[in-house]
Amino acid sequence: MKILKSWLKDFVSSDISDDELVEILTLAGLDVASITSGIDENIIVGKIKSIKTHPSADKLQIVIVNTGKEDLQIVCGAKNIKIGQLVPLALPGACVAGTNIVKANIRGIESAGMMCSERELSLGQDHSGIFILPGEYEVGKKLSEYLGGDTVVDLDVTANRGDCLSHLGIAREVAAAKNLQIKKEPISLKHSILEHSSAKISFDVKNPDLCPQYFARVITGVKIGPSPEWLQQRLIDCGTKPINNVVDVTNYILLDLGHPLHAFDWKKIKKSTIIVRTAKKTERIVTLDNEIRNLGSEMLVIADSTKPIAIAGIMGGENSEVDETTETVVLEAAEFDRKNIRKTSKDLNLSTVASYRFERGVDFGAIEYAINKAADLIVKTAGGKLMQGIVQSGTPSDKITIKIEYDLINQLLGLKLNEEDIDHILRHLGFSISAGIAEVPSWRHDISIWQDIAEEIGRIIGYDAIRPEILPKTARPGKSAYYFKEKLKDFLVSSGYTETMNYPFLSEDDIVAAKLNVKNLLEISNPIQPENKYLRNSLVPGLLKNIAKNPSFDQIAIFEIGHIFSKTSEFTNLAIATAGKSLELHDKTIAKLALEFKIAEKEFKISQFTRDELIRYKVKKPAVEVTEIILSKIVENKKIDQSIVLKTASGKILYRGVSKYPAITRDLAFVVDKKLDIKKVSDDIYAVSELINRVELFDEFASEKFGIGKKNIAFHICLQSKYKTLKDSEAEDVIKAIIKSIERKYKAKLRG
Amino acid sequence: MIKGNLHPISSLVRQAVKIFEPLGFEVFEGPEVDSEWYNFDALNMPADHPARDMQDTFWLTDGRVLRTQTSNGQVRYGEKHKPPFRILSPGQIYRNEATDYKHEMSVFQLEGLYVDKGVKVGHLFYTLEYFFKKMYGPDTEVKFVPSFFPFVEPGFEVSARHNDKWLELLGAGMVHPRVIKNMGQDPKKYSGFAFGMGVDRLVMLKYGIEDIRLLRSGDLRFLKQF
Repeated sequence: MKILKSWLKDFVSSDISDDELVEILTLAGLDVASITSGIDENIIVGKIKSIKTHPSADKLQIVIVNTGKEDLQIVCGAKNIKIGQLVPLALPGACVAGTNIVKANIRGIESAGMMCSERELSLGQDHSGIFILPGEYEVGKKLSEYLGGDTVVDLDVTANRGDCLSHLGIAREVAAAKNLQIKKEPISLKHSILEHSSAKISFDVKNPDLCPQYFARVITGVKIGPSPEWLQQRLIDCGTKPINNVVDVTNYILLDLGHPLHAFDWKKIKKSTIIVRTAKKTERIVTLDNEIRNLGSEMLVIADSTKPIAIAGIMGGENSEVDETTETVVLEAAEFDRKNIRKTSKDLNLSTVASYRFERGVDFGAIEYAINKAADLIVKTAGGKLMQGIVQSGTPSDKITIKIEYDLINQLLGLKLNEEDIDHILRHLGFSISAGIAEVPSWRHDISIWQDIAEEIGRIIGYDAIRPEILPKTARPGKSAYYFKEKLKDFLVSSGYTETMNYPFLSEDDIVAAKLNVKNLLEISNPIQPENKYLRNSLVPGLLKNIAKNPSFDQIAIFEIGHIFSKTSEFTNLAIATAGKSLELHDKTIAKLALEFKIAEKEFKISQFTRDELIRYKVKKPAVEVTEIILSKIVENKKIDQSIVLKTASGKILYRGVSKYPAITRDLAFVVDKKLDIKKVSDDIYAVSELINRVELFDEFASEKFGIGKKNIAFHICLQSKYKTLKDSEAEDVIKAIIKSIERKYKAKLRG
Repeated sequence: MIKGNLHPISSLVRQAVKIFEPLGFEVFEGPEVDSEWYNFDALNMPADHPARDMQDTFWLTDGRVLRTQTSNGQVRYGEKHKPPFRILSPGQIYRNEATDYKHEMSVFQLEGLYVDKGVKVGHLFYTLEYFFKKMYGPDTEVKFVPSFFPFVEPGFEVSARHNDKWLELLGAGMVHPRVIKNMGQDPKKYSGFAFGMGVDRLVMLKYGIEDIRLLRSGDLRFLKQF
């Protein structure tokens, strides 16, 4: 939702800076998505005292500008300036047309700022010279006080603060934060004619439970046309399109006070009768957006004697809309049941700025004010005569009262506020207090328990005032199955396996490839991709897909610990997958795993795959084996070793990114000293070129056949560019550089 | 011996669990598929409330959901244990939203919960400051601003200043009395605090990872860097 800083001034007299406004909004728990300011606060009105030509540049001049506090030297290229003129002077710290202004040295002369053109200030198109200001402006004042756009704040309002969905609502927060009063001007209605509104329109609210309050006013003799400039501009700045004066007024009041109103063309209301009732199952309505809506029996509609003319609180019907021919307007302001509006909105898949506000709760005590302000504004912009009185049904509900738990509030916040302080803050937020009972204002729908009040106190005082409190001492916690799983992970990592994490979804293709029975699987009714609608009952398909996805690796050793699902149960499984020329590592690891973690052989489910099966998974490796264990069952009856210590990484890991472009891999083997630290060699290889994305040791073997005290080390070197596909020649250059560097540094010998 | 690699999400969770150990937090893991009641209603998010719009949910054909936060586990724990208790709930959570370099449909979350007599906002502030300083260094500044989550009141958005930038890293708050009641405890006797962090995001910030989808890509060129 967009709000204009200048519009807030209608309700609270406060000159707040943009930074202050953002802070106040944050105190209300609102998220500022973006803020665009008017003229930069560091641009002031300056007066030209002298002008000299620049000694080293004919096109430049040295200008002395007075800021009210001091004289500054500015280097400037404009030719239109004269002594005594007032100009916009941007000081260091200002941002002008995207450039940050700093003290600069221009051709040898210091310049302490910049004078601005009209275009640079976004005030117009002229860039031919400095924008000369009117003589009445005061030297030294911020230019934003005289000119320029408004600050527009784009807010994300949380679901609990429906009261902040208007300028009045935000103004209330500003008033509370700055200890000011809200000014809500009384509406003095003029141009009334003696006839009462009820003479023109009769009405019946058949479902008062769904429509606790309904107000209508009638304005005759209007002339439909465009709204005045100022109103259109405010709507446009807030992202609403102007349509015509009457409709614009209803949209204006929505942004102004937060109350959704609707205007009907009186002549289109059959028998001049408004009935607020639930729809019949067979009824339909064409809404203002030109869509046919099929109504349900729980949906509330505004109807005339024969048919629905609006979906209550959500959208009006085309059959009753205000257009160029409208002469008499029926203006509606109502309170609708929040849950019902939400349900109808969801069922019709129709969410509007009106339904949004009704769902979150409107100010049920201010409906009369809203309709009167709107009626007055309609008469002022569209002419016409306002009929006497309001056609009204229902009265505002009682306000919620809560006992203010002063002690509990202080205890929760760790503060020592006295009752008067707490009462004062609440009164400023619009609460009425009497004998320790708070009456919640009619616009707040998020306050019902003392903790809600505690939050109001805490946020207005400021959370910086709350001091951290140490937790009471407690015994060391027991170590749960989590620790056992982490120990398993460490074992597998040190055995050479890499941990992977997959989505739990399976597609139809996966089901076929893995020969699973759909009947055993849980199904998602609203998947993102229609194909991926089943939940996995095994980790195996995921690991096979991982293998297929890594064709550049000859040997793959991966594992996953994750949840699997069947119609009746959910378990945590471990699956280990090995692929490549040899499966020796797999068998060795499983045997060690069973021994060290005391897992019985029958718990291991081993999967081997035929060529055809691997093809279905797009796996091209010669041999693949996957072993899966239901960890939940293993851990169920196990006593977890309480001495397990979680190991955390000691070294710093440098992430090098993953390129979209294919990698080139080369293998290099060197004979080096047996005692040489692999990490040093690896780091040195990385240092040779940025194109080296990964250096992976795949063999380390000490033997006399390489020489006494020597060993063979072999690396996969993976080369990749972030920006393009590498050419073979580029890769060769890097490889040559690596060989040169390592041979020289470590007196290593490259093995053919 | 050529070593394999621990997933960066696993190692960050491990780091966090270790930091909370001396504060007495135990690890409890709940189910990823749960009933609407445990995922929403128990957490003060009834069906007709706009608060449900804060997340998009995967619904199963049998009426259950893929959990949208790990708090379902916390409610289950609360039902079976008498306070005081302090638990950490790590686990995968699911959001029905389109994926891009910043958004995922499955993320890893770590939540914490402390329920006792007389738990205060000051206790929450202490715990989170302790965590951030251990995680990012003793000079880390921590800031608390008001925010809204249906299961806590007051609610906070917690930011930490790291490398000269303020980053919003955690949601937190005092457990809503209705949630305490749904755990089967008396909200007049017991109160608590809760917090939750998105581990994927913390991992991305830690290493400068450019695309969140890499974490679940199974791409060894990515996984083998850790």
